Amino acid sequence: MLAMKHLQKVYRTHLIETHALRDFSIHVREGEFVAVTGPSGSGKTTFLNIAGLLEEFTGGEYKLDGVDVGGMNDAERSRLRNEKIGFIFQGFNLIPDLNLFDNVDVPLRYRGFNAAERKRRIEESLGRVGLASRMKHYPSELSGGQQQRVAIARALAGSPRLLLADEPTGNLDSLMARGVMELMEEINRQGTTIVMVTHDPELAVRAQRNVHVMDGQVTDLGEEPRLRVPASPEPMPA
Amino acid sequence: MEIRPILSALMRSKVALVLIGLQIALTLAIVCNALFIIGQRLERMQRPSGMNEVDTFAVTSSGFGEGFDVRSTMEADVTLLRSLPGVAAATAINSLPLSNGGWSSGLVLKPDQRTPLASAAFYFVDAGALDALGLKLVAGRNFKPEEIGYRTMNDNVTPAGVIVTRALAEKLFPGQGAVGRQFYIDDPRTTPPTTVVGVVDRLQEPWVDSKEIEYSVLRPQHLPYGNSSTYLVRAEPGRRDEVMKQVEDKLAAANPSRIVRGLKSVESVRAEAYAADRAMALILGAVIVALLTITALGIVGMASFWVTQRTKQIGTRRALGATQFDILRYFLTENFLITTLGLLVGAVLTYAFNVWLMTHYESPRLPWHYVPVGFLCLWALGQIAVLGPATRASRVPPAVATRSV
Ligand SMILES: Nc1ncnc2c1ncn2[C@@H]1O[C@H](COP(=O)(O)OP(=O)(O)O)[C@@H](O)[C@H]1O
Ligand SMILES: [Mg+2]
Repeated sequence: MLAMKHLQKVYRTHLIETHALRDFSIHVREGEFVAVTGPSGSGKTTFLNIAGLLEEFTGGEYKLDGVDVGGMNDAERSRLRNEKIGFIFQGFNLIPDLNLFDNVDVPLRYRGFNAAERKRRIEESLGRVGLASRMKHYPSELSGGQQQRVAIARALAGSPRLLLADEPTGNLDSLMARGVMELMEEINRQGTTIVMVTHDPELAVRAQRNVHVMDGQVTDLGEEPRLRVPASPEPMPA
Repeated sequence: MEIRPILSALMRSKVALVLIGLQIALTLAIVCNALFIIGQRLERMQRPSGMNEVDTFAVTSSGFGEGFDVRSTMEADVTLLRSLPGVAAATAINSLPLSNGGWSSGLVLKPDQRTPLASAAFYFVDAGALDALGLKLVAGRNFKPEEIGYRTMNDNVTPAGVIVTRALAEKLFPGQGAVGRQFYIDDPRTTPPTTVVGVVDRLQEPWVDSKEIEYSVLRPQHLPYGNSSTYLVRAEPGRRDEVMKQVEDKLAAANPSRIVRGLKSVESVRAEAYAADRAMALILGAVIVALLTITALGIVGMASFWVTQRTKQIGTRRALGATQFDILRYFLTENFLITTLGLLVGAVLTYAFNVWLMTHYESPRLPWHYVPVGFLCLWALGQIAVLGPATRASRVPPAVATRSV
């Protein structure tokens, strides 16, 4: 699903060069749930941004779903991002001036779906995160946990193959964090590959695999990836 | 297109929307009406007087002292002026087009006619007038030197024949041909009628505000005002200023018992006549430029503020799959919607403003096409103004979504 080999990322400012990633290699298979941990400034967000095509890299190779993304232009990367990747941010990143329906609608419009298809997907994905009854509400009317659920619904609405989450529970209290984590586990069980950056070891252990990053390099690939045996479906948290 | 979500997001910043919308509305209303007024003024200023204005100038002589003879002075002066090098033609004349001072009277066709058919200006001239004014005779003939008489305040003489403008001829004798026909130019109860001997293409009355500005009558008479007489001189092409420089001295030397004054080119007479119109057009033009600039700057400022305020949102949209063009289009569309809302209000304001001008300043009705043309111009202005901020927005890197908090 996601294969990086000897990836490098150097940030150049007029004073200094920062080697955010050096010789960074990782392979995430279809259907995996990978937790990425590591100290602050170690390059976790940089890795996630490059994985999600938000940033370009300065060396090495990156194949997303078998496609080499190295030479793509901005429009091609935007298109790929829109079709294959769902993002979940630490700060939720909902658009404050749009209600939940329109927030989830944002990536679907860029996808070019027709109105009926978009409506179906918005209702379905808001239903999946338990917020179908709040579609006309604005983000400011929701709790942090609920906002992150909307963000997850938005990420899921376009049926992405890969979900990237940067500290998705970083702004939530532990109760809400657990709810979000359970939701992500549920999504993973239904087949979506998830890569999640977290500094919370309790959440990290719940992932199938832990990857530890230090100084822009993967130091611990964790146990060999194995696919989780589908468990009996748990009820969705409301 | 994403019109509905952009609109609903806009509705959440109503104050900004109303301020910019109103600014656009007022700009449309004021610019449309101001342009219309400027157009009317320019049209008014461009009306031809009918005479040669480029090569001509006027000069006045005022006699003083015992025994000053205005009649012999006039005849001597005209002869002198015609003999000066560089002078093509000269005439004695009582008044000039564009001078806003002169003599007019009502005209009737029959002695018992109560209400005049038209009101016309009288130019008291000699046989050199057509040449000096540079008028084009379109029917009949010019005056003969022996036809020139005198008209004084106490001595009410009606000439046997006059020359009229084509517009007046049409008014008095529609479609009949005016030459040889008779009408009354002085009191019909005490004076005889006069006969049209010639028709000139056009010659304006002296009053630029006159409603019947094309109605003029040339009378073959000298009209001295007391001891004063005025002359119109046409110089050979390109020699007007040169002739003007020497004419005062020549006239003064020829007859020392008078003052020579009022030397001015007809071009300067025109400039003076339309000074207020020109000033109005310039002021309104400045108002238009200022308004458009302020509106454009307002749009740039508002859009820049919004781009800065929404940097993270833009990054998020990029992360969710928006291309640079999608972001650019978002801001262009948003501006188009704001401008359109403003313009719809502005169309009503434009109409109301015009109605107000019509009732208070006798302004004509604004032609309908001003509003759609104004829409197009302000749409273009808005899109151009927002292009800079929108381009800046499109360059916000997607990584902003994860990097900024
Ligand atoms: N845009 C940038 N310009 C320069 N340096 C950057 C930029 N973004 C990140 N860095 C640097 O790259 C390194 C890795 O950052 P990051 O990936 O955000 O770490 P983490 O998410 O693990 O805290 C840090 O040293 C950070 O200061
Ligand atoms: Mg980080």
